[in-house]
Amino acid sequence: MKSETGFDPALLDRFPTEGPRPKDELAELERVWRAPKGWALLTVVNNNYIGMFYVGAAFLFFVLAGVLALVMRVQLALPLQGVLPQETYNQFFTMHGTLMMFLFAVPMMEALGVLLLPQMLAARDLPFPRLSAYAFWAYFIGGLCFFASLFFGLAPDGGWFMYPPLTSTTFSPGINADFWLLGIGFIEISAIAGAIEILVGVLKTRAPGMTLAKMPMFAWAMLVFAGMILIAFPAVILATLLLELERALNWPFFDATRGGDPMLWQHLFWFFGHPEVYIIFLPAAGLTSMMVAALSRTELVGYQLVVLALLATAFISFGVWAHHMFATGMPTLSIGFFAAASMAVSLPAGVQVFAWIATLASGKPRYNTPTLFLVGGLVTFVIGGLTGVMVAMVPFDWQVHDTHFIVAHLHYVLIGGAVFPVFAGLYYWTPMMSRRALSEKLGKWVFWLMFAGMQVTFLPMHLTGFMGMPRRVYTYLPGMGLEPTNMISTVGAFMIGAGVALFVFDLARNFRFSAEDTAGNVYGGGTLEWLPTGLYSTRSIPVVRSREPLWDDPDLPRDVEQGRYLLPGTATGHRETIITSPLRAEPQYLQIMPGPSIWPLLGALFTAGFFLLLTVQAYTPAIVSGILAVPSIMRWLWDTDRPVAETEVDVGAGIRLPTYATGPGTHGWWATVMLLIVVAMVFLMTVFSFLFVQGIHPAYWTDYGQAGWALPIVALYCGAGALTLLGRHLLGRKGSTHWSPATQVVLAGATAATAWGLDFGAWRNSGLDPELTAQAALIMALLAQQGMLVAVAGLMALYLALRNSRNMIVRPRSVTFDVIALFLLYVCVQGAASAALTRLFPGGL
Amino acid sequence: MLGGLMVWAAHFFALYGVASLLPGRPEARWLVLAATLPAIAAEGLLLWKAMRGANQPDSLERWTSQLGAAGAAISLIAVIWQGATALFA
Repeated sequence: MKSETGFDPALLDRFPTEGPRPKDELAELERVWRAPKGWALLTVVNNNYIGMFYVGAAFLFFVLAGVLALVMRVQLALPLQGVLPQETYNQFFTMHGTLMMFLFAVPMMEALGVLLLPQMLAARDLPFPRLSAYAFWAYFIGGLCFFASLFFGLAPDGGWFMYPPLTSTTFSPGINADFWLLGIGFIEISAIAGAIEILVGVLKTRAPGMTLAKMPMFAWAMLVFAGMILIAFPAVILATLLLELERALNWPFFDATRGGDPMLWQHLFWFFGHPEVYIIFLPAAGLTSMMVAALSRTELVGYQLVVLALLATAFISFGVWAHHMFATGMPTLSIGFFAAASMAVSLPAGVQVFAWIATLASGKPRYNTPTLFLVGGLVTFVIGGLTGVMVAMVPFDWQVHDTHFIVAHLHYVLIGGAVFPVFAGLYYWTPMMSRRALSEKLGKWVFWLMFAGMQVTFLPMHLTGFMGMPRRVYTYLPGMGLEPTNMISTVGAFMIGAGVALFVFDLARNFRFSAEDTAGNVYGGGTLEWLPTGLYSTRSIPVVRSREPLWDDPDLPRDVEQGRYLLPGTATGHRETIITSPLRAEPQYLQIMPGPSIWPLLGALFTAGFFLLLTVQAYTPAIVSGILAVPSIMRWLWDTDRPVAETEVDVGAGIRLPTYATGPGTHGWWATVMLLIVVAMVFLMTVFSFLFVQGIHPAYWTDYGQAGWALPIVALYCGAGALTLLGRHLLGRKGSTHWSPATQVVLAGATAATAWGLDFGAWRNSGLDPELTAQAALIMALLAQQGMLVAVAGLMALYLALRNSRNMIVRPRSVTFDVIALFLLYVCVQGAASAALTRLFPGGL
Repeated sequence: MLGGLMVWAAHFFALYGVASLLPGRPEARWLVLAATLPAIAAEGLLLWKAMRGANQPDSLERWTSQLGAAGAAISLIAVIWQGATALFA
């Protein structure tokens, strides 16, 4: 067998080990991973707890959004109803869509990832537990405040896609739109933090032997999901920032009268918005693939093709965004590509559907609640997929655009593709985290109410759309033939509501959270999450030799529980997990993990405070909150990157692994690179915006005669980059003084700041007025972005100096140093590119 | 493993660029053809290379080669599909 890292794979044949284990080994493991109690539980970072909180919060938002939907259905049950005034109805449909998409669907998938992945991969925890805690608290606090805006009449009312010019200050003068723009922008930052955690977790913390070909399908799905978030979400973050800047500072990015363009918003929003549908669907498809195999008691048919389908969906989904814009008058040629891609994306979805049907057909499925939800989801999703192919045909799309047909289509896709699989998953995996399983008897009632309710609500809605009823309209006139189908839809909605209420009752009756004393493997799953677990995940980390290890090795649970595999206790006396290589999962080193801390919670609280206080225009408290967030986050990081006395430890069977590592193969490096991909995507999307508005309205563009400044600014950024590299070089050199490497980084930060100052000053002196044209506004937006990056790099350099002053920078290589150097180098590259682009295009070349 | 899909993505964004920069102009169709032919060649090459590696003794390499071959095959069809749509639209 080949090796990826130089590790001898034959060493893994030593497991399971023989002989007795030390007496107090398990007690020590339990002590290290113990969760705090009482109020201190707020500081918990274990994935079991954070995952549970996360799932609970996402479900709460699902219920709240569902209640809004019921009120809307009452309003539409009869013509000219007066339940909701027009303005409130606008707020309700905006909040319903926003809550379902941003606060339920994506967070629920991340939540399930945080909850299930460590156990599925047999890792002790995800690699950055405090980041998980921060992501959860930021999402929960931000989400609750966002929802509360409804009670003050301040909820956003421009639809979940917030198209300008409707959402410009001219047509939406209140702060309702600001709540959406700042709130969603902030919540998406939390989603990105979760995605980085999941990506690194799947690639770097798998059990030894779990190669890419043996990964559970949910892990594959979450890998693709998280990768898509890194590419797609920066577009919506940028879009929300630009629109908020337009509203707050009158910078005309989307104002056609000053060289901007409202179509820019649609491009940015849907570049995120359509992949978002697959971001929601793919994890649910991963759950389905795993459950369909376990519940049919056979292997998944076409594992490799299903992996290909996940990857192909991810790629193609980035080529379909403009099918939401067929009615906007795009060039015929563009419409052709987007229609072709929109039809093509149904192929990988079809591959998965056929794989699931074949698995059900070749296995022996039982009649139970999760199977019912899976089959019901499959039927519903296929109907939604077929209407999706219909709307991919441009002439048909023109007919039904913005009608209730589209509402029916998207609910079939999302409820069939995501909600039903999630409910199946909740029934299937509850025994993994609760003392009691959920009731099968009630579960079947829940399913039939929800499934029948779904069809009763949305099947007639296709007809309502065909008859011409537009979306997002609060009422209709009598005598248009719309009464029967609307009334039927309302009855169906209440059936769904009854199903969800029954599920909540079942939860209250049977769900009792526990990490140790659980109901166990009720449905006979074959993957690692069904091993006996505690707060430390599995007692020892098994060697994986097949895709369903529990089916192929019935002794595995006993051997794992007796500590006969890797890391049977704590090797260093700290929380730790084994970091493995991305392709073949070969053990590389032991990661020391941080324990409970209040700082992620405080960091999230102050970050949320910053964004939410800005929304209500409380600028001074917002700035104070933002300033407090910085030391909170730094304090949380202060505890990390601390090498232990033992440089190498035995992780079982005489296999020794280092306890400290840095560089391109390590988890910290990977996380930094992923963060930089997000930052780079924000930058690339801004460059796209810059070129887009120039292409649309060239008459508004001016040559400011700035080309001469490009060279000195680029040279300064190059100098900053060189100083960073010099600092990194000096850290590894024996002869260098204690302060010389850190000093180079501080100097590099100062040089980058000088370059940015020069860039900003030159534009200021040129008479650039960002209120005048979109060109000037975009130049200022690029400068602001770069300014923010330089400020962060400056903070990082100071943090490095502070750690250096406490002898906390390890030589010859340090994780903190490497991460900061990598960030600084990126800042220099982006700064140089930004300065050159704005000066040389157009006219300077 | 992802080569085929990456070529598809590059081809798609090239077509989008052409359509956006030259809306309604006849030369846009020729540029589409110019972008599609090398993309088809690249997909064919990737498919051939991946199929050659699909019989390797190492199980993971065999698995990733097979995945790469299937990805290149589906991408080849997708490139022809969207290229033809643009040419005949």
